[in-house]
Amino acid sequence: MSEFQLALTNTAGLSSVASFWVFVASNAFAKWQKVMLRLAQIVMVVGFVSLTVAIVARGIEAQRFPLANLYESLLWFAWATMGGYLFLARSYTIGQLGWLASLTATAMFLYGSWLPASQHEIAPLVPALVSYWRQIHVPPLIVSYAMFILGGLSALLELWVGGRRQSMFLAIAAIACAGLAIALGTYTPIDSFWLQLLFVGGSLVGLVSAWLKLDKVRPANTDNKAVELYDDVCYRCVAIGFPLLTIGVITGGLWANHAWGSYWSWDPKESMALVTWLSYAAYIHLRIHRDVSGEKLAIVSVAGLLLVLLTYLGFNSLGFGGLHSYGRFK
Amino acid sequence: MEAVRTTVEARASKRSRATWSVFSSVKLTVLLLSLIAFTVLLGAWCPQESQVGQEKVFEQFGTDVAPWMIKLGISDIFHTPFFLTLIALLTINLVVASWQRVFPRLWVLRHPLPFLNPSEVMRLPVSKTLTTSIEPDQLINQLSKKLKHNLYFVRRQGTSLVAESGKIGRLAPTITHIGLLTLLLGVTISSWTGFSGFKPVLLGSNLFFGDSEHSKLWIGKLPTWHIKVDSTRRENYESGEAKQWYSRLTVLDQNDHVVKSEEISVNNPLSYEGVDIYQSSWGLDQIQLAFNGQAKTMSLRPMGKLYAAFLPLTKDLILIFSVRDQEGPMRVFAKRPDWDAPKLLGEIAVGKSLKLGTVQLTYGGALPVTGLQYKCDPGLAITYTAFAFIMLGVCLASIPHRQVWAAVSPDGYGSSFLFIGGSAKKGKILFGKQMDKIVAQLQKELPGRANEALPENSYSSAKDTVNV
Ligand code: HEM
Repeated sequence: MSEFQLALTNTAGLSSVASFWVFVASNAFAKWQKVMLRLAQIVMVVGFVSLTVAIVARGIEAQRFPLANLYESLLWFAWATMGGYLFLARSYTIGQLGWLASLTATAMFLYGSWLPASQHEIAPLVPALVSYWRQIHVPPLIVSYAMFILGGLSALLELWVGGRRQSMFLAIAAIACAGLAIALGTYTPIDSFWLQLLFVGGSLVGLVSAWLKLDKVRPANTDNKAVELYDDVCYRCVAIGFPLLTIGVITGGLWANHAWGSYWSWDPKESMALVTWLSYAAYIHLRIHRDVSGEKLAIVSVAGLLLVLLTYLGFNSLGFGGLHSYGRFK
Repeated sequence: MEAVRTTVEARASKRSRATWSVFSSVKLTVLLLSLIAFTVLLGAWCPQESQVGQEKVFEQFGTDVAPWMIKLGISDIFHTPFFLTLIALLTINLVVASWQRVFPRLWVLRHPLPFLNPSEVMRLPVSKTLTTSIEPDQLINQLSKKLKHNLYFVRRQGTSLVAESGKIGRLAPTITHIGLLTLLLGVTISSWTGFSGFKPVLLGSNLFFGDSEHSKLWIGKLPTWHIKVDSTRRENYESGEAKQWYSRLTVLDQNDHVVKSEEISVNNPLSYEGVDIYQSSWGLDQIQLAFNGQAKTMSLRPMGKLYAAFLPLTKDLILIFSVRDQEGPMRVFAKRPDWDAPKLLGEIAVGKSLKLGTVQLTYGGALPVTGLQYKCDPGLAITYTAFAFIMLGVCLASIPHRQVWAAVSPDGYGSSFLFIGGSAKKGKILFGKQMDKIVAQLQKELPGRANEALPENSYSSAKDTVNV
């Protein structure tokens, strides 16, 4: 990795941390809030631009499309999260989503930089991955995952501004369990049985109890305008993420058919992408159905976020197998 | 008599429609999609026998749990009656709902939107008013220009206007669902008429299709021609890792006449008469040796980057032959249990010999095996068409459909009132913002009200209401 590329990547990482703090701090200074939100956004733009250049530089250095291992994929993910947020922030006033987005990007940077060094290096590709299909297949998937995660975060905020704080904390606890399981699975040799239990158990208990607490509303903390806003943002994220996921899954099928002669082989990672796809198809149809309230949809969006985490990171770190295991490094 | 029969018929048809309405419900769709998602999740979590074999299930879950996984069908979940029933129900649901709910919406799209009068406009989910001193005609002109600028398609009638944007997004459900139905058709055709398989083929050997995986082949049939592997090789990175595998294949007809010859590699198959042949794996399979002129073939096992063969000479002396690639030399080692590492006895280039005691060992070369995956998939064109429809459909679904109505009426004192309202199914907040912006811009660009002292008129209930 060249100095230049490293410096850019570090700038991007530090910018995401910095914008996180400015976003958070903006809540403490009512008078300066507008200015600080703007500033946080600008810092994030700096991070986004430097990450864009870093990824391009990496591609030039490696003489290949810079998306071949987990580390590079995490860079893309952080890039898509920042870009997705900035895109949404052009049309919505969503300062609170900003700090969640930069927190997510930061987490991805940290997760990536703590990976074993072999993952940072620019390694040659195994025959199965030498194909232009790779660059058609993977980026839409990563961007769609980032959009779904932004949608889930927006759903958390929807619960918050809807006065459903208990539900929100329970949903956050579910996400924390999932994140912890992934981190433990990546950096420690803990048996995957316990990790899977932590992930699935935490998600289920957290979400079900969040659902049950939905009617615990504090009217004093309710801001209906903001609820509508975050509901709208959440749906927008899904509306952008779903076509991208569809394109990603289908082009993956086209690639597989081109390379192995079968567009679908029930490979675990393939199946997981299908699970995510089916779940968001269910979500879309749930929206068509009139009598489902926004806060219930919010819980479903958080469930979607967990599924995305499972598909994207949980899979390799929690000990599932399969063809797509270039992300494995244990 | 006649009347009675009609009533009975009517009741029967009502009942049948009621039965079908269960299948056309979106609730059922959500339930089925969730159940299928959950089932596929189990299938992703548990190794599938049909993919990786039963041993993997035991390896993962141990001898206590694995038999349960097998008994419950979790280790072969995509072939269980449960899963197939879910797919069948989803298919029925999709067909019925598409016909009863999704496709009929297309007809609605053909009818132009009606024009609305001011009080109707004010009852729309988003509505606003504006007053200005210019003529109603001019005002509606200005608004029309603004809307067109915002990518609306505008129709006018006198001083009323309707505008729509993103109408093409309304086609999304229809196109997506046509795609899904087409996908089901394509997959069905493939599974009824296609075949596929995998075969490791030695250099110089043949590939026949007789033992392929196929269902009944009700309509299709297996080819009478076959494939011969003329050459096969591996290309390495400088570090020694495999970069690409190649095989030169010849298609031979029933009478062993050559009809086609082509080199394939990973991602680069050979196609002949609807059958595709793919390079899917590669290895060295055998070495040819001669001991004092007596030929012997030995099987190789992959050992990391090398391949090795083992020849026990006595109870505790083993000869090990290792090769790295086809062209390079073979190394000969000896190993005794009490030695830490095997001892290198020598290296022999292809075609050369080495004297080991009284034995003249000749290395004849290594024989590669190429893993060929093949398939014939007659439904593929339909499946691909379905993919295109589905991708197009879901992309269209992200286009928000917006409708705007406006009516202008003169107030009799030289000013005009604009009533503007609209609705959007998705992205309501953005639509509200767009409307705010359009009205604010008009307000700024147009001269104010002629008579500012004008009393609040009868439309005073028509406040700025944005109730999304
Ligand atoms: C199998 C049973 C299914 C049924 C019964 C069903 C039914 C429906 C219905 C009634 C609509 C509303 C149409 C409208 O509002 O005009 C709809 C919309 C839609 N469906 Fe399905 N659907 C099914 C499966 C799927 C699947 C698997 C997908 C996956 C892509 C899908 C994608 C869509 C999309 C993208 C829309 C448009 C949504 C929108 O406009 O926001 N459907 N579906």
